[in-house]
Amino acid sequence: MIKYLFKRLGQSIFTLVIIITVVFLLLRLMPEEGYLGTNADKMSDIQKETILTNLGLRDPIIVQLGKFYKNIATGDFGKSITYRPGVKVSTILAQKIPYSLYFGLVAIGLSLVFGVAMGIIMARQKNSLFDKLGTGYIVFINAVPAAIYYLVIQLYVTNTLKLPILFDKSNFVSWILPAISMSLGNTAGYAMWMRRYMVDELNSDYVKLARAKGVSEKNIMVHHVLRNAFVPMAQYLPASILYTIAGSIYIESLYSIPGMGGLLVDAIQRQDNPLVQGLVVIYSSLGILGLIFGDIAMTIADPRIKLEKSGGGR
Amino acid sequence: MSYCEAKDNKEVILSVKDIKVNFKLRGQVLNAIRGISLDLYKGESLAIVGESGSGKSVFTKTFMGLLESNGYIDGGSIIYKGKDLSKFKFEKDWHGIRGKEIAMVSQDPMTSLNPLKIVGKQVQEGIELHRNLKGAEAKKLAIKLLEDVGISDPEKRYYQYPHEFSGGMRQRVVIAIAIGCNPEILICDEPTTALDVTMQAQILDLLKNIQKEYNLTIIYITHDLGVVAKVADRVGVMYAGDIVEIGLSEEIFYNAKHPYTWALLSSLPQLGIKGEELYSINGTPVNLFKEIKGDAFAPRNPRALKIDFELAPPYFEVSTTHKAKTWLLDPRAPKVEYPKALKKLFDEWEG
Amino acid sequence: MSIGGKKIDKLGDNISDSLFEFAQFDNKEAEKIGYTNYSYWKSTWNSFTKNKVAFLLLILVIVLLAFTMIQPFLPGQKSPTEIYINAGTNLQDKNVVPSSKFWFGTNSIGQDLWARIWSGTRTSLLIGFAVGIFEAIVGIFIGALWGYVRKLDVIITQIYNVVDNIPTTIILILMTYVLRPSISTMIFALCLTGWLQMARFVRNQIIIIRDREYNLASRCLGTPTRRIIFKNLLPYLISVIMLRIALAIPIAIGSEVFLTYIGLGLPISIPSLGNLVNEGRILMMTPSLRYQLIFPSVVISIITIAFYVIGNTFADAADPKNHV
Repeated sequence: MIKYLFKRLGQSIFTLVIIITVVFLLLRLMPEEGYLGTNADKMSDIQKETILTNLGLRDPIIVQLGKFYKNIATGDFGKSITYRPGVKVSTILAQKIPYSLYFGLVAIGLSLVFGVAMGIIMARQKNSLFDKLGTGYIVFINAVPAAIYYLVIQLYVTNTLKLPILFDKSNFVSWILPAISMSLGNTAGYAMWMRRYMVDELNSDYVKLARAKGVSEKNIMVHHVLRNAFVPMAQYLPASILYTIAGSIYIESLYSIPGMGGLLVDAIQRQDNPLVQGLVVIYSSLGILGLIFGDIAMTIADPRIKLEKSGGGR
Repeated sequence: MSYCEAKDNKEVILSVKDIKVNFKLRGQVLNAIRGISLDLYKGESLAIVGESGSGKSVFTKTFMGLLESNGYIDGGSIIYKGKDLSKFKFEKDWHGIRGKEIAMVSQDPMTSLNPLKIVGKQVQEGIELHRNLKGAEAKKLAIKLLEDVGISDPEKRYYQYPHEFSGGMRQRVVIAIAIGCNPEILICDEPTTALDVTMQAQILDLLKNIQKEYNLTIIYITHDLGVVAKVADRVGVMYAGDIVEIGLSEEIFYNAKHPYTWALLSSLPQLGIKGEELYSINGTPVNLFKEIKGDAFAPRNPRALKIDFELAPPYFEVSTTHKAKTWLLDPRAPKVEYPKALKKLFDEWEG
Repeated sequence: MSIGGKKIDKLGDNISDSLFEFAQFDNKEAEKIGYTNYSYWKSTWNSFTKNKVAFLLLILVIVLLAFTMIQPFLPGQKSPTEIYINAGTNLQDKNVVPSSKFWFGTNSIGQDLWARIWSGTRTSLLIGFAVGIFEAIVGIFIGALWGYVRKLDVIITQIYNVVDNIPTTIILILMTYVLRPSISTMIFALCLTGWLQMARFVRNQIIIIRDREYNLASRCLGTPTRRIIFKNLLPYLISVIMLRIALAIPIAIGSEVFLTYIGLGLPISIPSLGNLVNEGRILMMTPSLRYQLIFPSVVISIITIAFYVIGNTFADAADPKNHV
């Protein structure tokens, strides 16, 4: 198993390098005026050239890449150039990550608890009123763009319950609504999959045998089906947890939470290359780590799976 | 205890009267079981034989309330220890029956076991439910049962998962689970079909021994006459949702009366002359969506009488233990010879 | 062998002796089976219509689509982009609440919201359908090859891993810069980033069924790859593919809203549901003006929910296992 993990890590680093290089190159396709700020039209050509050279953008691509990787190796992500000029990228991230992390983890916790519970009850009481209501909720959340229901929730809930609209670090109450809103989507997801997997398991042969043994429906649900239904979901859990760092662009902007949410978009629009590159390194690494941990989680959950022959490989 | 001894004691533990089972399929009604009456005697081994689709599995599933959701009992009764099982409506009605009184060993050992639970716990589950033992006591019994069914190294294998067992081993585990429940009746639905021939003999021997040791009544469902010959006291031949002939093993093999039974026996491959065709039954199983007039086997029966197409034959008694539903046994029917293939079979057996 | 058994049940013995003669054996009668007259698509349709909600939504969608098409040609409709001047004040007819003149009211620069909503719906639906169909064609084609031809699997998987991790936002922004914001740019950009998921999905499905026995048999018979893909594999996938296409519409609308939110949407001169929601969002704090947010939100919700439900119900109905 250890050997396999090392092999995976090696492959992942290779993939990571390719990703970062591609992004690096793509960024350099952006129009140059973007780097110059709002006063671009007032600058002389010499001024523009100076700025661009200082940013290292006039060096040959290979040199730029080389410098970049050398810095990464020492953990230096460089300094932001347009978003917050002069501030180290790592500093910016360190300030923002805790907020996204907090809300993200709380949201996952809530959605796991409520989503899984909902899915179980819906599977147990298939076609009951609860099931129909639950399905309605899932359909709504899955179909309607998140932006819309986040907006509507903010609008009406804050009005009727007199909750604060904007996030304030010191006011605990203002932490609640964003966290709950964030959990809605995943709750629907977990509920849907849980219900589907449980219903599938309920049709399997071993459940029929358990029934023939005389095991009560309740015990079949709890001791046989539940564990088995959870297995496919275990794969995605680590990735979800790791990705909480990315934050939610909608929630954070709606409630003015200084998290990571809109950072990537902002950085790209402002053509803040170091910031974008730093973010890509982090997000891609998390993505790949999430996959690896997900596979490990799968082997723990299902003893039949052996990792050496993972995926559909032959 | 053999059937004869049992019948002399006349203890009927399960009595089925005129049971009818229908299925709702694609908007139509399928008459799967068309009025079967059967008495099961304590301690016997009854085999129910028939081709695919004759209704063998469905028939026994009614004893445990395990019909598919689109199936329902449309009349008749199943009396067990004073209760009519056909009238049970809710899951909890079956609480004292499933496992405790009637247990089942099903066909496919590959999928019958929970892949994520250790084998020992699956055996123990039945024990804890039905034998009033818990924890360490139950575990001890589970290990003993694993040993009884012929699994070596049971203490170690208790902790293993189903995928670590071979097919034959898994079937033994399923049998251990069934016995763990301490039932009166054991239904074995094609217990050896998914196994290879060497394993078949072992499993059947195992079942025979277990029957003796635990004083069980066993119903075997099979399409394999070889299995029947090895284990059954009594044989019931099913065709198109009805038992067309039933009798002691010897009576069915050596003195069959129903043309369908003759056809089944003739189909047993025999050593013959090179180049000669093997016998097979003409035609295909009957359509159960339509109401059947007369004898269901008539269209495929070269020896059918005109009345077979008009009126369904009643049971005709051949002996106290042997009866068959065929008009050929009516005194007015003409004399009929055994089919050629069957005659050859008898010759071979004598030789 | 003896005949002459004893009858067990008493039957009326009014049976004529002539009935005890041998009957003619007809080989054909023996072969008669029950033909249940099963038609796949008919069964699918029946299964679908059993779900009343889905059926109603299907009708709703058809009516809605028809209406969006013919709305501009109905009498008394206003132009979605024309700015209306109030005859009385000679100023722009801004932020008028819904009235008999402006059924859905006007927005902050005096445009008729009713016309804008339908125009926006047309635009968004157009984008959704275009993206959905393109994703389907390209995604299925590449996914099928990816899943079926083993040699390509490794290469394409590597490419996928890289492309998947590139933030779509970078690509979208690049596209918008290079190609200037417009409907075709948006369609192009969404297609570019969308086909990948469809391809992966198709690939996973094909890997699952690629090695099933009936495909093995086809390969042994020497069936060419193309025929196996089209005749063996894809029909099995029809229901899931239709589901993905139906879902592509709500997803495309969602993406459009997202892009507009971060400023990469259509130019505001072209009304789209995303634009309308954004315009409404700015004013949502004023209770009297909330209608500008509510109307487009409701329309989006209805459309997305309808397609989602129809897609899922159809997928369930098309699964032969449910044709009982």
